[in-house]
Amino acid sequence: MNIRELNKTNLPIIRIDDSLEKYKKMPLFQEKIDQANETLKKVGLPQVVKSKLK
Amino acid sequence: MKLPRYELKSEKSLMVFEFVSEGVKGEIPKLIKFSETNVPEVYNLAFGDKIGLTNEIDDFAISNNGDSEKVLATVVASVIAFTEKYPNWWVYATGSTKSRTRLYQIGISKYVDEIRKSFEIYGLLNGDWKVFRKGINYESFLVKRK
Repeated sequence: MNIRELNKTNLPIIRIDDSLEKYKKMPLFQEKIDQANETLKKVGLPQVVKSKLK
Repeated sequence: MKLPRYELKSEKSLMVFEFVSEGVKGEIPKLIKFSETNVPEVYNLAFGDKIGLTNEIDDFAISNNGDSEKVLATVVASVIAFTEKYPNWWVYATGSTKSRTRLYQIGISKYVDEIRKSFEIYGLLNGDWKVFRKGINYESFLVKRK
């Protein structure tokens, strides 16, 4: 895909920066993750997904 | 549809993104992270302000930098990039506060027809996932590529 074609798509252009690697293993936003886990444990995924998995 | 958004940087796996908000209060670096949850293939989306030169992130910060729409469009761009790389994975998102969740809901509502072309989108209401509809206050959101 050339630049002109790429610019026509909705795909964002991302610059790779290896200095961000350090954040991958950091326990950031832990409160939110705990909250998400709590919610997902209670309600799971939408019904349409559950039925697709059956 | 292309909304104004900030340039995004990311490490190779597209799990962590960074951008700089530029507004009335100056430049505020922000970090977006997609984190694993206990449910396979469901990732939690969170973002916040980077604090000084430390590695800390404040997701309760109210920047009031006058660019919330551009910030949201940038976060959406990270979701597009993340789900382009991992099309079978779900993204779970909620605000740090009720008012912030409502802000996300308003943002989603504004562009929901466009979003639906590429994503399935659900809102959590009274303990159940419902297909996202405008004008309803949801507690959290779940999206996945179609």
